Amino acid sequence: MTETKKTGKPSRVIDVLLILMMVLPLLAAVVLKVLYTPESKGVDIHGALVYYAAEGADISQVISGDLIITEAQINSWLVIISITGFCLFLTHGLEEHAHSARQHLAEWLVEKAESLVSGNMGDFHLYITPFIMAMMGLSVFSSLMSLLGVFAPTSDLSVVFGWAVLVFFLILIAKICCGPKVFVKSMTADGPVVAALNFIGDFSTPVSMAFRHYGNVMSGAVIGVLVASFLQWLSRTVFGGIGAAFPLLQIGLPGILSIYFDVFSGGLQAFIFAMLTMLNLGGAFPLEDWLKRHDRRRKEKQAAQQTV
Amino acid sequence: MQSQQIISVNLWQIVISLCNLIILFLIVRRFLYKPVKKVLAQRQAHVDGVYEEADEARRRAEADQAAWAERMTHAREEADAIISRAAENARMNSDLMVSDAKNRADGIVRQAEEEALLTRQKAEEGIRRELAGVSAELAEKVLGREINESDHRALIDSFIDELEDSRDADQ
Amino acid sequence: MTDIALAIILGCCALGAGIAMIAGIGPALGEGNAVAKSCEAIGRQPESKSEVTSTMIMGCAIAETTGLYALVIAILLIFVAPGSFKNLLLEVVEKTAK
Repeated sequence: MTETKKTGKPSRVIDVLLILMMVLPLLAAVVLKVLYTPESKGVDIHGALVYYAAEGADISQVISGDLIITEAQINSWLVIISITGFCLFLTHGLEEHAHSARQHLAEWLVEKAESLVSGNMGDFHLYITPFIMAMMGLSVFSSLMSLLGVFAPTSDLSVVFGWAVLVFFLILIAKICCGPKVFVKSMTADGPVVAALNFIGDFSTPVSMAFRHYGNVMSGAVIGVLVASFLQWLSRTVFGGIGAAFPLLQIGLPGILSIYFDVFSGGLQAFIFAMLTMLNLGGAFPLEDWLKRHDRRRKEKQAAQQTV
Repeated sequence: MQSQQIISVNLWQIVISLCNLIILFLIVRRFLYKPVKKVLAQRQAHVDGVYEEADEARRRAEADQAAWAERMTHAREEADAIISRAAENARMNSDLMVSDAKNRADGIVRQAEEEALLTRQKAEEGIRRELAGVSAELAEKVLGREINESDHRALIDSFIDELEDSRDADQ
Repeated sequence: MTDIALAIILGCCALGAGIAMIAGIGPALGEGNAVAKSCEAIGRQPESKSEVTSTMIMGCAIAETTGLYALVIAILLIFVAPGSFKNLLLEVVEKTAK
């Protein structure tokens, strides 16, 4: 009894530390938001706050190549730290005989992700599971950040575009791994025009994925801001000075909207992003053709050895 | 504090978020996926081991049962053999006893017969002797003369032999 | 003169955003059609509800893309285009003044 207490005590301390590791980054995000939010004048719809900009960086540009660190990046890092704490918390004290709820949760997560991957891509590609888990986790937690009132990294186009670019590279790598010759042949078989169209089609995949995710989350954010400012205006006109100081009518409706736009839409978009990733990757690596070629090559090799 | 346009694409931010995803992928794989998979594999191995043990135990039990069944059938055969042997022994013993008793009875009967024969011979001898004496006395008395005893005896013997022969023939 | 030009720019941007969002009709019709068909499918085969639902959600997400492109264009026209057009106009005005 005493021994179990002795062994149990440090683990509880670690647990507390890990929970702090999960919670503190989110708190830090809120604090940063409170500290650095500029005073808003009426309806103010803008992108991420820029915390750091390199010398001579033009922030107002829509497409730019200057080094700037914004709210989106900071919040992403905080989410990553939080997810790391969550992973460590789930896997802390794993035992062969599962007793704790968190171990059940961890196993449930892994098994669900594996079944999702094997259902969409086949058992051959199970190695991609942690990537899908990371993608869904990052997307969901980033979208849920807006529940805390802070800037959701997914409502920044650059962030989702980065993920989509990674998916694009993965698709390219999968195609090349599946068969470089087949890839080149399929690209250039029908003349330069079709090749160019194929190329554009390949490029449109990440663009459409990024715009889909960004558009859904950001439209929710924009509608939230519009509704909130409308309610502020309404409470000011209805209650006068008290309404201006305390926008009473803002209680309620933005929360209900946020349940749809942040929780449901954010989770759905994360799921859809991961599903599209898996489908595109699975389509880029047709397993049956690959196995057929693999078998043929092996047979040819065997035949060559036999003739030698 | 400035803020970006609501829709903006920045190369550095794209690169950073791309790296973020890769880093999170490595973290998830290192801290969530692999430990859980390891534990699942351990449990699978454990369960397999338990199943194997159970199979082994069942196989052993089945072997034991087969051995027992074999031994039981053997025991029955042995019992049958023992019983049959005992019956054989008993029969042999009884045969022996019966034959012994028969032999002894035969012996007794033969002895009795011999004794009877001997007694009869003795009695015949005695009778013969008495008869000879009586006949000699009779003849002496009848003839009044002393006849040669030896002649006489021969005469009587022949007579008795005749008698015997006739009796044998009668029998 | 500059005031009128600015007013035209702002008005046209708003008008353009509104016209762009007409594209919202397409995804709406498409998704409504998809959901109706999947409801029919579930009614016909209730046992395949989960598969039909997930496929429908995927299809809706993909059909939504065109609407989101329109949304992006509209947002660009409302929040980004007026500012850049205004800067352009002011530059031109300065040049002509010189």
